[in-house]
Amino acid sequence: MSTLILVLFLLLGTYFVAVIEEWSVTGRLRPAGPVRAALRLLGTESVLARKPDRLFFEVAPVLLLVAAILSLAIIPLAPGLIVTDLATGALFFNAALAYVLVALIMGGWGPDGAYAMIGGWRFLGQLIGYAMLVVMPITAVAMRSESLSTVVIVQSQEQLWNILYQPLGFVLFALAGMAMAFVPPFDLPTGAGDLAGGVEAEYTGVRRLVFRLGRMVLILSVASAMTVFYLGGWLGPVLPGWAWSAIKILVVTALMLAAGRALPRVREASFLAWCWKLGIPLALVNIFLVGVLVLVVPL
Amino acid sequence: MTAQVFFLAAFGLAAVWFGIVVFRTHSMVRSALALLFSQTAIGAMFLVMQAEFLGVLQIMMMATEMSIMAIFMVMFMMDPGGLGEMDMKHQRKLSLAAGVIAFLAAIGVSVFADWGPAATVVPSADEQLRMLGIELLGRSMLIFESAGLTILTAMIAATAVAVQMPAKKEDAS
Amino acid sequence: MSPELLVALVIGAGLFGTGVYGALSQTNLVMIMMGIELILAAALVNLVAFWRYLHPDVAAGQMFVLIVMTVMAVEMAVGFGVAIARFRSRGSVEMEEARELKG
Repeated sequence: MSTLILVLFLLLGTYFVAVIEEWSVTGRLRPAGPVRAALRLLGTESVLARKPDRLFFEVAPVLLLVAAILSLAIIPLAPGLIVTDLATGALFFNAALAYVLVALIMGGWGPDGAYAMIGGWRFLGQLIGYAMLVVMPITAVAMRSESLSTVVIVQSQEQLWNILYQPLGFVLFALAGMAMAFVPPFDLPTGAGDLAGGVEAEYTGVRRLVFRLGRMVLILSVASAMTVFYLGGWLGPVLPGWAWSAIKILVVTALMLAAGRALPRVREASFLAWCWKLGIPLALVNIFLVGVLVLVVPL
Repeated sequence: MTAQVFFLAAFGLAAVWFGIVVFRTHSMVRSALALLFSQTAIGAMFLVMQAEFLGVLQIMMMATEMSIMAIFMVMFMMDPGGLGEMDMKHQRKLSLAAGVIAFLAAIGVSVFADWGPAATVVPSADEQLRMLGIELLGRSMLIFESAGLTILTAMIAATAVAVQMPAKKEDAS
Repeated sequence: MSPELLVALVIGAGLFGTGVYGALSQTNLVMIMMGIELILAAALVNLVAFWRYLHPDVAAGQMFVLIVMTVMAVEMAVGFGVAIARFRSRGSVEMEEARELKG
């Protein structure tokens, strides 16, 4: 039974993320949009670039999808409704999403095209900026819950959600998470305007469909992580746990995508400079503040 | 044969196979990513050996580390795509012999040494994490701190070596 | 001794042998570093195997693994720093062209 709910969550979640993404771009809510787009991509011819690294080219979209789905395995939707409650859940989330980078590099290198390759390497630069800002706020979250297990992390927010307990960490994690899912202000690898699609440029047909699907699951996964780490996961009055999880995840997705549309795209050099010169000191301050709070105000 | 032996051998053979691919392929990006998959298989071996934290950490760290390796390969090799089938080996016989001897010697030690009885009971993942944390910030704190300091020193030193100082402008006056 | 330990050690030996071969046979600095990474990975496998099958209740074994991982990261950072400096001044990181380093 719970397996069915989890699979349904994955499918419906991806669908809703796709609808919200279309809304954030066009401003219209079209429930049939994702289905139509998928059918259109299925009908398109799958063009193969000249002299591709065939292995990388084929594996990259699948790897992106698999990494994103794996990272969802540690997201608890309600008490007991989780694929696997690892003792190192919060770390596992990072480990799975590190392979997004590998997928993008493979996809960028594979088709032997300049735009794709630049897109792939750009994401490597982006990772060097955001990686620390994902891990360090999670450290502060784990300090409060005294565990890396995501279930315990949600339970630790019974009294006060982490977004209020450590707002600085939330801001950093939200920005880093957006960079990790390469949504608009940080969409350097696929930059629609300046790179003609970047990593996606050479993908057509079914491969592009899988790539897009992986991207949607990735956005869903990052939104779920924000919900679990900072917005109290399933916690909330009246409604059952899974409903709260679903509402929070969808709201976070919508806010993330809508806010991203309003901001100008960041250059990777300035992104790196901001991350290392401002982000990491702030993350250290956050760890220090949370450490003091945990000792002084045991909430 | 237990399941543990089977999975250890399977992931281990994958790790060794990818390790060999690193030096056989001509494409440099393939070479770096083969090393990544070798390391990932090693991480999977850690998971099989019930060292959950170390396994996840290995899988996470190596993804980033080997991707950085890949971009340096592309930057510093004459033929990163491997289309020219360039030869990049020297002292073949010596190194092959050294590799085989190292392999056989290590096997010899592991077969003939008396390792004593094997432990069967392993602490749970939670317990391991707690023990590791107390170890890191207790008895081994000095070692851990010096490891951190070493990384910081290496970061600064590597940046200092690599960075190109802008050429000093001649004073016009 | 347990078959698990033997399997893990043999895998470690295989990785070590491959790493030694790679580090000695390649002409490029970055490829040599890959060989060294493999050697260190072999050390990691052995350390985890010893921890798991001989002393699972001693956390120092796991800490040793963390230190070796640190060594891997440090080796990467310093190696690439040297590689960049070398490439800047000489235009290549090929070992055959670095004979002038021999005293």
